[in-house]
Amino acid sequence: MSRLGRIGAETRAAWFAFVRRRTAVFFTFFFPVILILIFGALIRTDPAGGGLFAEPPGYYVAGYLAVVVLFTPLSRIGSEVARHREGNRFEKLATTPLSRGEWLLAQTVVNVAVIGLASLVILGMVLAVTDATFAASPLVVPYLALAVALFCGFGALLGRVADSQDGVIAASNGVAIPLLFLSETFVTPALLPPWFVPFMDLSPLTYFARGLRAATYRPPDGAGARVGEAGLVGADPYLNLAVLAVLAAGFFAVGAYALPRTD
Amino acid sequence: MVIDASDVRRRYGETVALDGVSFAVDAGEIFSLIGPNGAGKTTLIRALFGTTDAEGDISVFGRPPTEVDRGRVGLLPQEFTPADRLTARELIAYYAGLYDDARDPDAVLADVGLADSAGTFYENLSGGQKRRACVGSTLVNDPELLVLDEPTTGIDPTGRRELWRLIEGLADGGTTVLLTTHYMDEAEELADRVGLLADGELVALGSPAELVERHGGDSRVVIEADDDRAAEDALRAAGYAPIDAGRHVSVPADATEISAIVERLAEAGIDYEGLAWRQPSLDDAYAALTGTDAHGGLDDGGETPPETTTTDVAPEGRA
Repeated sequence: MSRLGRIGAETRAAWFAFVRRRTAVFFTFFFPVILILIFGALIRTDPAGGGLFAEPPGYYVAGYLAVVVLFTPLSRIGSEVARHREGNRFEKLATTPLSRGEWLLAQTVVNVAVIGLASLVILGMVLAVTDATFAASPLVVPYLALAVALFCGFGALLGRVADSQDGVIAASNGVAIPLLFLSETFVTPALLPPWFVPFMDLSPLTYFARGLRAATYRPPDGAGARVGEAGLVGADPYLNLAVLAVLAAGFFAVGAYALPRTD
Repeated sequence: MVIDASDVRRRYGETVALDGVSFAVDAGEIFSLIGPNGAGKTTLIRALFGTTDAEGDISVFGRPPTEVDRGRVGLLPQEFTPADRLTARELIAYYAGLYDDARDPDAVLADVGLADSAGTFYENLSGGQKRRACVGSTLVNDPELLVLDEPTTGIDPTGRRELWRLIEGLADGGTTVLLTTHYMDEAEELADRVGLLADGELVALGSPAELVERHGGDSRVVIEADDDRAAEDALRAAGYAPIDAGRHVSVPADATEISAIVERLAEAGIDYEGLAWRQPSLDDAYAALTGTDAHGGLDDGGETPPETTTTDVAPEGRA
């Protein structure tokens, strides 16, 4: 059996394990939908042009997608690691030819598929309930895949550190919520103190949101925030993608190494 | 030699989990590790597979633990719980998919008696079926060395016996089996040799019969008398050396002395609820070596555990 065969076997098992958890499937898709309904359709923009959600609706599409590429892998992989630990599954896998990297890759493939589907739902919802415009770009696929791989690695780290599924959920929320709002997703740099703006470059999600927005969002003339003017690599979607790729490789490698075997 | 371990040591902070353990397992042998909770059985298994960092010399199939050909071994970890939303067949097929040269999942399911439950989700299998499915997951690569860490814990007697037959069948086919268990009858039934671990040390090693002979003590008559003190006095007066074992009186005696003891009790007008002759068992050897019974309690000097060899004697002497 080749490496591909082992990854395929693990991917099939992980896919079934996910799609047969109806609650997990429901909330994976419901969560971004409810966010869009709240932030995209219910909340009114400040008529004076300031405050939250003052940008054109298209500006926030990258933020909506960031929600799923951030929360879903962190919580899913973290929980899966916790479940594997509690069931002594890693101890068994350590005596099979499946490597830790192959296990994490298989989980990543499943997450990419799930989040790809969720992203389609999000895009459909955004276009249906808001006035957002979205410029289709082939870069969307690598952006999604790399960001998912990155946060799968991060999720594996959380799973290693947390001692239970409850702990993983708490830890992933504790990590994800600050990242979500401080990474140029829903809060523009102009709304943050100037001294803080350079720190946004420390968030991996910034490169996802900034780069994806640069690739898919065409602001109307004179519209509010410029896209990714600040930052380490500016608004170039390819440069942001390159940074994301490097970070994804690093987090994936560290996450795979962190996967427990026994003690 | 399949496993050769010498002077294996492992500490967790101040706690000594393994303290100079040495043993070897030959090809085709069923070797059982027994010992109380926390004795170091699971740590020793982890050391054999390199999933814990232990000191000492360990080789499995002549190689260090981390370099063992994973296609030659199968492990059932303690309290192993696989994905519950896979059917029995999907579960076996999943593990089979991890090996270069795997068996047909349906053949494995048939071996573990789950052919008729192949389409049932793991979570809906009975306790015994779940354990058999877990054992099946270790058989997908037709391992030469099968390591089962407490495989029958939590399943009913029928399920245990089904698993015993399966393990015996595998050993008959040439598979080397390393088994840990809390059940002395299981070790006695299955194992060619037994290693007793206590506080991280291997305190006894040998065949079950050897351990019983060396450490099991004498055969005895166990009497559940209404008045233990009166029974002891009557037997002591007849030249026996009864022991107050708490809930009953225990008298070292061989089988030829049973009738004399019954007669003596009748003569003394002693009422009793039950009387049984007990041969020494691995339970007794375990209790003598560890100071506990096999179920974790203090040794009471003759408590009859479930499923040990006894000969009941009808209480004809009841007055």
